[in-house]
Amino acid sequence: MPLLSVSHLSLTLNAQQILKNVTFSVDQGEVVGLIGPNGSGKTTLFNVLSGFLKPTDGSIHLRDADITSVSPAQRAKLGIGRVFQNFGIFREMTLEENVLVALEALPKEQRMLLGNIKDVVKGTLDMVGLSQHAKKKAGSLSGGQMRLLEIARTLKSGKELFLLDEPTAGVSPKMTKQVAELIAELKKEGKTVLIIEHDLPFISQICDRVMVLDLGEVVLNGKPKEIKHDKKLQEIYFGADPTA
Amino acid sequence: MLSCLLPTGNYALHLLAITSMTMVHVLGYNVIFGKGKILHFGPIAVSLASGYGTFVTLTWTGSYLLAVPIGIAMAVLLSLLFTWLSLRLEPDGLGILTIAMHQIVLTVVLNWTPVTRGALGLPQIPRMPWLQSNVALTSAVVLVATAWFFLMLLFERSTYGRQLQALAEHEWYAKALGINRPRLYLIAFLIGGIGAFITNLFYHQYLYLVHPSDFLFPVLIFYVMIIVAGKPGSTMGVALSTILLIFLREELRCLPIAASVLGPLRMMLFGIILLAAVWYRRDSLFPKKRTI
Ligand SMILES: Nc1ncnc2c1ncn2[C@@H]1O[C@H](COP(=O)(O)OP(=O)(O)OP(=O)(O)O)[C@@H](O)[C@H]1O
Ligand SMILES: [Mg+2]
Repeated sequence: MPLLSVSHLSLTLNAQQILKNVTFSVDQGEVVGLIGPNGSGKTTLFNVLSGFLKPTDGSIHLRDADITSVSPAQRAKLGIGRVFQNFGIFREMTLEENVLVALEALPKEQRMLLGNIKDVVKGTLDMVGLSQHAKKKAGSLSGGQMRLLEIARTLKSGKELFLLDEPTAGVSPKMTKQVAELIAELKKEGKTVLIIEHDLPFISQICDRVMVLDLGEVVLNGKPKEIKHDKKLQEIYFGADPTA
Repeated sequence: MLSCLLPTGNYALHLLAITSMTMVHVLGYNVIFGKGKILHFGPIAVSLASGYGTFVTLTWTGSYLLAVPIGIAMAVLLSLLFTWLSLRLEPDGLGILTIAMHQIVLTVVLNWTPVTRGALGLPQIPRMPWLQSNVALTSAVVLVATAWFFLMLLFERSTYGRQLQALAEHEWYAKALGINRPRLYLIAFLIGGIGAFITNLFYHQYLYLVHPSDFLFPVLIFYVMIIVAGKPGSTMGVALSTILLIFLREELRCLPIAASVLGPLRMMLFGIILLAAVWYRRDSLFPKKRTI
């Protein structure tokens, strides 16, 4: 059984259909890339998956549980972790508090399993080399550091399904490599990842499968190698080829 | 001729009493308005319901044993109502509606004369047996306020405090971590409500009177001013600014200047303090809208 199944998902906002009959599934441990031009509905799809927007139609299942009308907080408790396009970090809190607040939001049984929560906080900051900034406000971090912190925090709070919205956006080229390594680490740990990215080489390198969204529709869905040379993708990304 | 000296004797006792009583409600309200950044302007509506609940019952039955639970129940009831509103309305709508709620409750109190005696207020409030003297009452409220202060400090540093702060900074980010907004808001409003109950319970015994003029909008503005000046959400800061601003408010009454000048001057000074505080905290007062 797939970890996530989405079927016939549609969303209309202000009389504008933003998602059209989106159907796909993601298996446990799979890393799936989601690409598409600006405004094609990628972030909106994530908002529906994490419960912030109610779909007009269709359903979402996590394993065999129908979560279509479950609240965002409840979905987080069920193991869906979200990494936001604009850094989902609390800038007024210290780095330490940013990790702590995520761990404390876990269901009680899960929090018990963590053991000493202070050690987990320290371990999380160590993992991304930010321990020496533990007491600083997170707002003082660079984009790359915030991204690392956010992903590490999501990983350490035991999430199963990761929704990563452009994890390399706003990250310096040097740190992009570190972010990529951290995502590879997620894969190694058997996590399931849905990742929105514009960078095609990056995507084909780390993803088992790629889906292409255009005008709210899934127009391609396959292995990176298979879709790379697909005409449709060329059209969407580079416009119709005049030499063809 | 009055002059401003360091307060001594009964006057010092009086300052201590009103500062402590005010602090309890303001620190409770600070959890909602300061820490949670919830645009709730109805703390005085809660005061009205709880204060009148307590002392109407007392006037009619003569029993604190009945009056106290009713006062608490009224505070909880209004807090539940405000929690519900805060979860359903956008911040601007909530702000306006809570101000309207204050006005509505005030109107009810002023016009339901058979029960509340309207503008006459409820006179001759008997004190609890062990609070008969001002020394006893002041000692009790200082003790209560100190305990409440430490409780609020604990809350601020607890899981709930952090979660409320997270919700205040970015609702979606907080929810995506699994933070339960309805629960946190309920806790915040209940703390505010209990604070209102405690303050009213002592304040009207202290005055031997419940009077509608103690529940007008200037009280709300004074509370908001204390919180903004003290640093919204900071228990320590708000406690200090309560002490400072009440001291200032009372001491400014007795500067050696003609009353006709001092009166407006005092009001203007307060206006300026509020403006300065808001200006100083303009960036942190309300959460910035950030795209996700
Ligand atoms: N709350 C909303 N109300 C109305 N329209 C919306 C809303 N949210 C998104 N949209 C519209 O939905 C469309 C898809 O937006 P979305 O942010 O999902 O695109 P995206 O694929 O993530 O783009 P980008 O690559 O630029 O991040 C856009 O046309 C946007 O204007
Ligand atoms: Mg987007």
